[in-house]
Amino acid sequence: MTIIKFITPRSLGLVVFGVLAVLPAFANNYWLFVGNLTLVYIVLTVGLNLLIGYSGLLAFMNGILFGVGAYATAIFRVDFSLSYGLAIPLAAVFTMVIGVIVALPALRLSGLYLALATVAFAQFILWVLLHWDQVTRGPSGIQVPPVNYAPLTDTFENGHYYLTLVVAFIIVWLTVNLLRSHYGRAFVAVRESEVAAESIGIDLTRYKTLAYAVSALYAGLAGGLFAPLLGIVVPESFDLSQVIVQFAMVTVGGLGSIAGSVIGAIGLVWLQESLRAFKELQEVAFGGMILLTILFFPGGVSAMLKKWLPSWREPLRRRLLDHHEHD
Amino acid sequence: MLPYLLTSGLTSGALYALVAIGLVVVYRSTGHINFAHGEFFMIGGFFAYSMITMLGFPYLLSLVLAVPLSFCLGAVCDRAVFRPLMKAPGTTIVLATVGLSYLLKGVGRYVWGGKGEYISIKSIVDPAPFLVWGMPVLPQQLIVFGAAMLCMLGFFAFFRWTIAGKMMQATAESAFASYLAGIRVERVYTLTWGVGAAVAGVAAVLMAPLTLLTPDIGSGLLIKAFAATILGGLGSMSGALVGGLLVGLCESLIGGYIDSSLQEVAAFIIIMIVLVFRPSGLFGAYGVRRA
Repeated sequence: MTIIKFITPRSLGLVVFGVLAVLPAFANNYWLFVGNLTLVYIVLTVGLNLLIGYSGLLAFMNGILFGVGAYATAIFRVDFSLSYGLAIPLAAVFTMVIGVIVALPALRLSGLYLALATVAFAQFILWVLLHWDQVTRGPSGIQVPPVNYAPLTDTFENGHYYLTLVVAFIIVWLTVNLLRSHYGRAFVAVRESEVAAESIGIDLTRYKTLAYAVSALYAGLAGGLFAPLLGIVVPESFDLSQVIVQFAMVTVGGLGSIAGSVIGAIGLVWLQESLRAFKELQEVAFGGMILLTILFFPGGVSAMLKKWLPSWREPLRRRLLDHHEHD
Repeated sequence: MLPYLLTSGLTSGALYALVAIGLVVVYRSTGHINFAHGEFFMIGGFFAYSMITMLGFPYLLSLVLAVPLSFCLGAVCDRAVFRPLMKAPGTTIVLATVGLSYLLKGVGRYVWGGKGEYISIKSIVDPAPFLVWGMPVLPQQLIVFGAAMLCMLGFFAFFRWTIAGKMMQATAESAFASYLAGIRVERVYTLTWGVGAAVAGVAAVLMAPLTLLTPDIGSGLLIKAFAATILGGLGSMSGALVGGLLVGLCESLIGGYIDSSLQEVAAFIIIMIVLVFRPSGLFGAYGVRRA
């Protein structure tokens, strides 16, 4: 029983990434793809959790910004013939700039306006992807050529998997450290009480925008990793259900828990893959999971782990229901 | 061209206003935006459809019955989802309504057909257009428009002169103070969610003969209703009506004179312009001070 003492968010994370690192040795191409998709979603959910879970901002942008990142990478690769190593960071920064410009007017106002404005923006970008034929090629999408990882590994699948693994690991590590810094504390302070945060000298708009920008950057980065993985980017991958799937991952994993986001991404990517053929079942499952988690397991998986494991400590976890839990 | 665009713009605008009024009713009482409102609309429409085609009820009866059924749907959602979350912070509730909307969309798709399958309801009245001051008007358009006005007036009277309406406003102002004054806040909320869904049902029943019902109809409509509420000022009933009509008119004029595919983005452009230049909306926002 002593092993229980060593299960912490950090050690569990290291074990998960260790398992994911050896996955290519015994997985076939399909499971390698699922593993790769999981890593992309880990980047996405960590960014979304930073926004909803830690900063308390509810925005519907991450689904469509994921798409903007994927499209930007594809366009930089195909039309500007940039190398993949240059296209990804450019696309991520581009995505961040787009996201911040749109959210800036709403970030000055109360949280509801951000939610409303970003829902509309998500629909708008989806429309642009469908109708701006010269650039986005409309509904048929853009073919993305595979990346050549020749000197490092022989196959694209392995190479791309390890690139995504390294990026996801760095993102998780960076985010954990960011949240330990005074920026992270400021995000949580803004979430808990805007008035109190302001009274101790935290500039609300500045920190909200910062959290938002980091989240958008991650979404763009995830899009850049997603584009060559599928080999094609099409608008329908990035409709409103994309962001709802991400909401489900973050909620089920636990708001305000990076470890929870990783667990949520792993579990729900698998569920999504097994329900791929049944759209209505997918909707019922993901919508139902959001509701059931909020109603019956507030805090999600990470809260349950905290209950069972004495060593599981996450002081910045978000309380979903004020009167239920006390950390 | 212009008369036609004006009538069609006003009709869809009246529909957006009706949907927006449902949103505003819930917002004014609970302080939350219901992201599942579009799905309440969709399911309300399918209630009417089921009674007509599956149970063989006469038109008017099914249309009238669909409204109380929608009320029950809203009240059940309140008891199951929102009452346990009464003390939860706003983002949790929004997240819950998002989950509910996705769940309801899946249920709608499972029960009433596959993706992209359109189901139309036959019109109650003669579908032939007639001329009003030289403008071609569909009778159904007039009914939608008239019903939106009636709902608006009804709610105005309800909030102004009835005890229940005043209780709703009191709970929006402060749930805690309302408790102290002896108001059963839970019951007011159940009533509110029910009324919100019933308004969505009214809108669906009126609009179904003019458009086609699909399980995906909710989200697009919801965004237009958002544009209407933000344009009118979040929480303002008359603002929602005027905002809805303006959104409908803008859409139809942009679609007619610039490009028909631009119709879909008019709502977003309106939201952005309002947020940048006049965040409190045309009629002063009821909600900005909640910031």
